[in-house]
Amino acid sequence: MTRVLSWLLSALAIGAFGFLLCVFLFQSGPVWQSEGTRYITGVSWFYRQDVFGALSLIYGSLAVTAVALLLAGPLGLGAAVFLSEYLPQKARLALKIPLELLAGIPSVVFGLLGIALLRDWVYRTFAKFDPLSGDTLLTAGILLAVMILPTMVSLCDDALRSVSGAQRQAARALGLTRAETIWNIVLPQASRGIASAFLLSVGRALGETVAVFLVIGRQDNNLPHPWYSPAPLLEAGQTLTTKLGGAETNIAFGDPLHWAAIMGLGVLLLVLTAGATCLGTLGRRRHA
Amino acid sequence: MFENIPCKNIVLETLNLEVQVRERTILQNISLQVASGEILGIIGPSGAGKSTLLRCFNRLSELTPGLRVRGEVRLMGSSIYAPELDVNVLRARVGMLFQEPVVFPVDIRENVLFGARRLRKLSKGEQDELVESKLREVALWEEVRDRLKQPAAKLSVGQQQRLCLARTLAVRPEVLLMDEPTSALDPRSTSAIEELLLEMKSRHSIVLVTHNLRQARQISDRVAVVCLRNGVGQIVEQGESAAVFNAPSAPEFRDYLGQASGM
Amino acid sequence: MRRGLDIVMGCVAGGCLLACLTISTGLVWSIARRGWGALSFSFFTEQIALVGASGGILWNLVGTTVLLSTAFLACAPLAVSLALMERVWLRSESMKKALRLGLYTANGLPSIVFGLFGFLVFVQWCGWGKSWLAGGLVLAMSMLPTVTLVVLERMAAIPQRYIAAATGLGLSQSQVAWAVLLKQSWGGLISGSLLGLARAAGETAPIMFTATIFAGVTFPKGVVENPVLTLPYHIFILAQDSFAAGVETKMWGTALVLLGLVFSMSVAALPSRLYLHEESDV
Repeated sequence: MTRVLSWLLSALAIGAFGFLLCVFLFQSGPVWQSEGTRYITGVSWFYRQDVFGALSLIYGSLAVTAVALLLAGPLGLGAAVFLSEYLPQKARLALKIPLELLAGIPSVVFGLLGIALLRDWVYRTFAKFDPLSGDTLLTAGILLAVMILPTMVSLCDDALRSVSGAQRQAARALGLTRAETIWNIVLPQASRGIASAFLLSVGRALGETVAVFLVIGRQDNNLPHPWYSPAPLLEAGQTLTTKLGGAETNIAFGDPLHWAAIMGLGVLLLVLTAGATCLGTLGRRRHA
Repeated sequence: MFENIPCKNIVLETLNLEVQVRERTILQNISLQVASGEILGIIGPSGAGKSTLLRCFNRLSELTPGLRVRGEVRLMGSSIYAPELDVNVLRARVGMLFQEPVVFPVDIRENVLFGARRLRKLSKGEQDELVESKLREVALWEEVRDRLKQPAAKLSVGQQQRLCLARTLAVRPEVLLMDEPTSALDPRSTSAIEELLLEMKSRHSIVLVTHNLRQARQISDRVAVVCLRNGVGQIVEQGESAAVFNAPSAPEFRDYLGQASGM
Repeated sequence: MRRGLDIVMGCVAGGCLLACLTISTGLVWSIARRGWGALSFSFFTEQIALVGASGGILWNLVGTTVLLSTAFLACAPLAVSLALMERVWLRSESMKKALRLGLYTANGLPSIVFGLFGFLVFVQWCGWGKSWLAGGLVLAMSMLPTVTLVVLERMAAIPQRYIAAATGLGLSQSQVAWAVLLKQSWGGLISGSLLGLARAAGETAPIMFTATIFAGVTFPKGVVENPVLTLPYHIFILAQDSFAAGVETKMWGTALVLLGLVFSMSVAALPSRLYLHEESDV
């Protein structure tokens, strides 16, 4: 009885997730047929003309994620080093618990904070580049950085703690300083775990919707020229998630091609986040 | 009961050393001396605080949270707890070998150079020379000369321990602390290490914590016996090895010898 | 030189931690400072008026509670079944591994994806329109991996000898599952659910297409076309308008309430989490 029940319910759960995957794949079918690879490489998205190129959305997602990682990565790793290598166990836990709580602040609240605090700050700070408003890719990136920071610290700290104390002691016994031990023993041996922490944070940043939605400006077709130009960072943009969270999703339903284009964005998002999370998890597991 | 050895150079000595963990005293009244060119064995039952004592000599005890050390430890006559002393320099002067060999996850050559390369400037030629001479010193050169670039973790445990010794010797320590260095090794590797110790003692003073009474008797010049007395680790007996083993006087030590031989 | 670098390293790392802590406490503080003024008894007992500028958030609290209860009821049995699957019924190691990897990966899926899925399946195909049930089921899906993983972690921490002892008494696998695994991992289900619910409570993306509107409904009376008001959506809508003075205080007040709700659920889940972490550290 128990056995049958748990098989049934598990099948239901796994079936639901499988169904989700199938729904996204099949519903996005038309756009792959109609646009082909242009769907990914195409630079313009005009749904009224049935032109669906998602490149600017992919760019937006990657750009805000990169900004977030560039800011939160070093800061988070540094903080984790202090937590794990300098503080006694009790102080470490006492600081880690509130940090993990902060990781739970709802994203809509972050969005609100972004609007209230960050938007104007970005507008004023970068005034000499003459941004149109404070709603920019950069603003979204900074906000995401703050959002993933607690996760980053916590995961990096786990990675650093997984290096055995005997290694540290042996290095210190040779006369290496604490800093030398960290650089030559702890960080190299924790590198896998740290990479995982980065990947898992990337997964989180890519999938974040509401907070980014509120501060990014949601301007379609914002791409850099040439491709490495940082200029679009100070312009409004659009990511995969903000597109999906916007009003267009409601409009699109009923028009098979437009809807397929929306679902296609979901597929891209699934591939990117699942890839990052999956790799990150594998690294973490093997490391631990 | 504590004899002095004025005729020789004292390299390391402790005076009334006391160690507390939080509020509990685990070692007290520890006074001992290590002369140049000798091996001092520290023996006693497990849990008496031998390893902790050893870690006071290079201040590695400071890495254990909650440990407080009082009293005096002098290296070459000057206090190792002096405020102006750089603890990292001290640890380079007082090398340490652990119970389990701790090799770093890099190749054999890098392991030998790990400390030395960072403590002083070494040219490529000096590095090669150092690697060869230290590996020869620990009788590992012939075994690993063709695979210096291989990961050290691939060596056998006995080889790893000798590699750790080479790594410690490469930073040119004056004193070597050894925390049961052979307890994880097979008999052959054990005798290899023992031979090395006897060979090395003319150049480095050695403090050897061991469980192995035969080892203490055979290779240490003098021994200090650390036993629990009233629940606190203390030196209950100290002197020339032969004298201490042949005529044990402290009751705790006699009990310990009785148990050890009974096993 | 070496000593100098050592000190610099400590200062830099300490500075990073200090920055993290300052940012975090600063955020919480700035919400509390702005929202404190809105909190009053009537804020919790009145309904919205004047597009959020007046009244309270009673029905938003009720709606969020309805969604969370639904999500919990739908999620808990599935989470326990999946955990039992991994612990008891699945025999092959590679299947177990695949299940775990799947759970970890699903745990990282963006919540908007669940929102779109719910929109298509429940709102459109099932014809429910915006409905509390659609929202609850979507949230259940989004929190399922988290809850399952916590339950699994707890089951894995049960000493093998208990299971061996129970099996030795001649209990069948189902009996072992009930008497040992489930009995010992209740706490895991509770703390896992609290963690999942804490996250779900603040989610906007999954419910904005499926379950929630801004104003005009109270308690749902059926399934079809029966949306609810929620705390996160309330903030989401108000945040997009210009901040009129009256709205602003209410909006921050709502954010503070939501934050309090989320934090208290996470804190309630803490003791058993800590206990596990300490164990695994040894």
